[in-house]
Amino acid sequence: MSEKISNRKKNTMYIPFLGDIAVSTGRTLLGIALGLLASAILIMISGVNPLAAYASLLNGAFGSPQAFSNVLVRASPLLLGGIAVSIGVKTGVWNTGIEGYMYIGAIGATLVGVHNLGLPPVLHILLCVLAAVILAGLWGAIPGYLRAYKGVNEVTSTIMLNYVAIYLTNWLVSDVTGLADKGAFYPMSLPLADSACLPILMKGTSLHPGPFLGIAVCLVFFFVINYTAFGYRTRMIGSNPFAAKYAGANSRRQIMTMIVLGAMIGGLSGAIETMGLKYRLYMDFVTGVGYESVAVALLAGGNPISVILAAFFFAALKAGGATMSIETGVASSMNSIIIAMCMLFVIGVGIVDSRRTRKVVSTDKTSSSTSKETEEA
Amino acid sequence: MAKTEYALQMKDITVEFPGVLANDHVSIDLKKGEVLGLLGENGAGKTTLMNVLYGLYPPTSGKIFLDGKEVAIGSPMEAINQGIGMVHQHFKLVDTLSVIENVILGLADGKGKFGKLDLEPARKKFLALCDEYQLYVDPDETVWKLPVGKQQWVEILKALYRDCQVLVLDEPTAVLTPSESDELCKAIRHIVSQGKSVIFISHKLREVMEITDRVTVIRDGKLIGTINTTEANQIKLADMMVGRPVQIVRKERPAFKDSRPVLEMHNVSANDDRGVQALKDFNLTVHAGEIVGVAGVDGNGQRELAECISGLRKIKGGSITIDGRKVTDVIADPSFLGYIPEDRQKTGLVLDFSISENLIMKDYQNKPFSHKGVLNKREIRDNARSLIKKYNIKTPSEDVKVRNLSGGNQQKVVIARELDPEPVLEIAAQPTRGLDLGAVVGVHDILLKERNRGAAVLFISAELQEIMALSDRIIVLFGGEIMGDLDAETADQNVIGQMMLGQRLEAKGE
Amino acid sequence: MSFSVIIDWLQATLRWSAPLIVVAFGEVFAERAGVINMGIEGIMMFGALTGVMGAFYFNSLWVALLITVLVGLVLGILVSFLTISRRANQVVTGLMMNMICLGATDTIFSLMPESRQTRVQTFPVIFPKVMQNIPVIGPLFFAQPISTWIALVIPFIGGYIMYRTRWGLNIRAVGDNPQSCATAGISVIRLKYQAVILSGIFAALGGCVLTLAEVGYFSAGGMTGGRGFIVMAACVVGGWDPIRTSLVCLIFGAADAAQLRMQSANSIIPYQFFQMLPYLVTIVALTLMVKKSRVPKTWGAAYDPKDV
Repeated sequence: MSEKISNRKKNTMYIPFLGDIAVSTGRTLLGIALGLLASAILIMISGVNPLAAYASLLNGAFGSPQAFSNVLVRASPLLLGGIAVSIGVKTGVWNTGIEGYMYIGAIGATLVGVHNLGLPPVLHILLCVLAAVILAGLWGAIPGYLRAYKGVNEVTSTIMLNYVAIYLTNWLVSDVTGLADKGAFYPMSLPLADSACLPILMKGTSLHPGPFLGIAVCLVFFFVINYTAFGYRTRMIGSNPFAAKYAGANSRRQIMTMIVLGAMIGGLSGAIETMGLKYRLYMDFVTGVGYESVAVALLAGGNPISVILAAFFFAALKAGGATMSIETGVASSMNSIIIAMCMLFVIGVGIVDSRRTRKVVSTDKTSSSTSKETEEA
Repeated sequence: MAKTEYALQMKDITVEFPGVLANDHVSIDLKKGEVLGLLGENGAGKTTLMNVLYGLYPPTSGKIFLDGKEVAIGSPMEAINQGIGMVHQHFKLVDTLSVIENVILGLADGKGKFGKLDLEPARKKFLALCDEYQLYVDPDETVWKLPVGKQQWVEILKALYRDCQVLVLDEPTAVLTPSESDELCKAIRHIVSQGKSVIFISHKLREVMEITDRVTVIRDGKLIGTINTTEANQIKLADMMVGRPVQIVRKERPAFKDSRPVLEMHNVSANDDRGVQALKDFNLTVHAGEIVGVAGVDGNGQRELAECISGLRKIKGGSITIDGRKVTDVIADPSFLGYIPEDRQKTGLVLDFSISENLIMKDYQNKPFSHKGVLNKREIRDNARSLIKKYNIKTPSEDVKVRNLSGGNQQKVVIARELDPEPVLEIAAQPTRGLDLGAVVGVHDILLKERNRGAAVLFISAELQEIMALSDRIIVLFGGEIMGDLDAETADQNVIGQMMLGQRLEAKGE
Repeated sequence: MSFSVIIDWLQATLRWSAPLIVVAFGEVFAERAGVINMGIEGIMMFGALTGVMGAFYFNSLWVALLITVLVGLVLGILVSFLTISRRANQVVTGLMMNMICLGATDTIFSLMPESRQTRVQTFPVIFPKVMQNIPVIGPLFFAQPISTWIALVIPFIGGYIMYRTRWGLNIRAVGDNPQSCATAGISVIRLKYQAVILSGIFAALGGCVLTLAEVGYFSAGGMTGGRGFIVMAACVVGGWDPIRTSLVCLIFGAADAAQLRMQSANSIIPYQFFQMLPYLVTIVALTLMVKKSRVPKTWGAAYDPKDV
């Protein structure tokens, strides 16, 4: 009988709990190493010495305080986007709408930010952030509701909404009086009032408080996920929805909450980019950072602290990549290829094991049941 | 070689798993053209035996002879090629395909030119089979649209299409309505009249008596005997199936007189996952300080019973109250209900969580484990440590992921969490399944202790021995109804056995 | 809204649906086999590029098609390997695939600046001018490039393969109950690979149709514009049936064509809202159709041969 067979397998040796983390971290690092190696080969094919290229990359990222400030600036959206996706993953959903949330958040911030309200900067910025977060949260409620209560696959719905957000932004900064800078050479909004712009933290750079806020948010969620009842419930639902049901947890509400929370964080990210870096809302200003956040979350494997590490890894690659391109002549899109290679190998090495598909072995006669949360991935 | 009258002979089959002797020198033989009933409780070993026949794993020792020739069956495909057809309890059909497409799946039939699907010859052969065996199914109908009874016929026809000589039906009537069962019986009669041989695994006495020519009974992995159906009656069969106990040790227990009712179920009806009625007009009362044992062969409503009481399954009719409180949804109050679920890994535990986290699964939002939403790790840890000690859970630390524990220790975690708060009602569904002897004794001790403290305990088990040893009262489930309600001290094991086979207890006029 | 505008719109509908239908042809088989190939967006982008490359450097549409098929094959094998053999999460693999293709196509495109100034040759219109001048059906059907005609025909081929061939039968079985198929002796892994590779090849071909049917050039930064995801939604709404899915693609193509027309027309509603139309339609369709679709039972789940 199947239960007797499964008992056979249960003589598993006790592995110290640290072992689980070590194994998965080891696999991630191996994947990254293989990715870097594969990219080195590609660089070599294109005629450049890979060692020189990588050295230049490191220099471009860490070689000077200015360079590092560049890394920090690029890390800001990845930190926030990465944690936004991660908290969804903890609940068992893939919130891939970061691009859209960033646009909507930016719209919110700009709507409040272009007007000279005569407020001290702190208040004005706070209002802009509030607008951004609320609007993005509402935007996220759509796929959140559809997923939690209607079973609509959140990946498809969020990606569709991303495109809607892009075109919405497009319209707002091209045509709408009071918001758009008509007659500009490129569709963009009117400039933000001075009181709505984030301060520069280091002279001569574009460093704004964004990355530090991002780190703070990651730390906050590290605490929430691991140290609060709310986080416990989230993890329980993501790990075993059946037991969660018995424990009285409301899965639907939790799933929608996490998606909306992720949307709000994404909105914050978009607001920061607008208020801290660009000082205007530009059409198409989110250049794939939303999807890179998904990669960050993947690399981090569900741990908010690792999100910080992963985000910086990506940011360093991107910041250093520009220098690498200038100094050694490697094609400028090579750094996105390096990132992609690392991701491929990380996946291939197996960190995203299909055990996430939650195959639960039950000890009764039906030997195994694959739980499918509608197209759960 | 002499022509044998036996279609199938399994001689001296022994199947040994680590720590478990599933089949102990079991021999069965199946005459050509006969229907052989295979009777035995869950865990008796009959499913293991059939799995050996089906090639799922080799026997530790023993031989199989088909039509007098010794064969070795290494895989289900080989079994099919050797002429063994098996209809499982859970059908192996592809729902989205049509009947005829399912029938030819994997066969060379139906291959036209350039990979085109030419179903005409297959369809003809299929319809001829339908005629021959009087099992009519529309070959072009999509499987999921067919009623369950017809789906089963498709499985049978699939086996017949492959020229099986031996057809094994595993609990075929478990999912059928009474009229569908009758039709199946007629169909089986036809099949054997055409020269095939059938093994019929069932617990339903009425059908076994009606359909089979002989009955083989297996108990505890051993062959008890084979008798002609004409010479059998329910008493004899029940006797063979449940046997005389070596010794049922009943523990000493204080008597509880006039104790209040804790669990009250009135006219409860509920359906199972397939929408088939699982509980029919169910009435049950469990009092404080008593253990009510629920006996019966697995699959007669036990799981649905536990799920309805715990609130995991919605009832269609009637009412359930625990200590006066109506049950409409899951009650996560630890002092109210302690539920040890049948599938502990699915409903009872979060495998990826540590022991300490699993121990607060129902209570995590409340003091002392949470204060204003923040988890108090120290309290959680202390709680875990004291429970680990109290319930003797073998682990190096409370932080170990429950996934890494043995089955017995996992069960202890569930028991500790559910029973330690001393709830008024406790449901233990197959609590000793998969546990070694020491762990089983431990569970029994705990349940008795709870009963002595005044809890109302509903104890569901497929092992009659432990039901009889532990319960104060015994009810027997069959087909979602209670066949009888007996006092455990004076209960006759064979009477219980008969009830498990569908025989209702006559009211005794003492 | 004059008559000629409507004809014009319908004609564009057919043309814009063509790439969607081509991609859907392959994806339907992959998803029926239980594998969601979310990378078709990226593969489509790659095919769009290789189509232009082939036409530009080799001045031959045949070569363009050949390179496109090869690229689709390679990428399809990559996705198959990760999702089937490594049993990786299908959503994530697909999204990563898209990222890679975006980066790769941008990189390769930046290495071929010469191509930016020219429009390469596109798929020819095969019917003579005489037929094209027939009112109504002339511009509607006979002025279409050959790729549109092929796109209109392949759903029927797809339907035939899926329901009338052995292979199609096995694919449908594998996605619904792989364990039973394994027991019956069918090679589940091999079939899944075949289906996913097919989806890769046709995703690439779809991209090729996108650039070479009319546009004639490639633009960096994601010119496929989420069409791969629209195709995935079409599969759900179309119940994973080749013909129904293609009909849904037509509807999305109609929305796509409408938004292009509105961009030049001076309408009260800003054109960007028409651009949103295909995506909004997709979400609405998904919401309405979720309950009604009969999902292949193992859709999105990894297949473990050790399950019995």
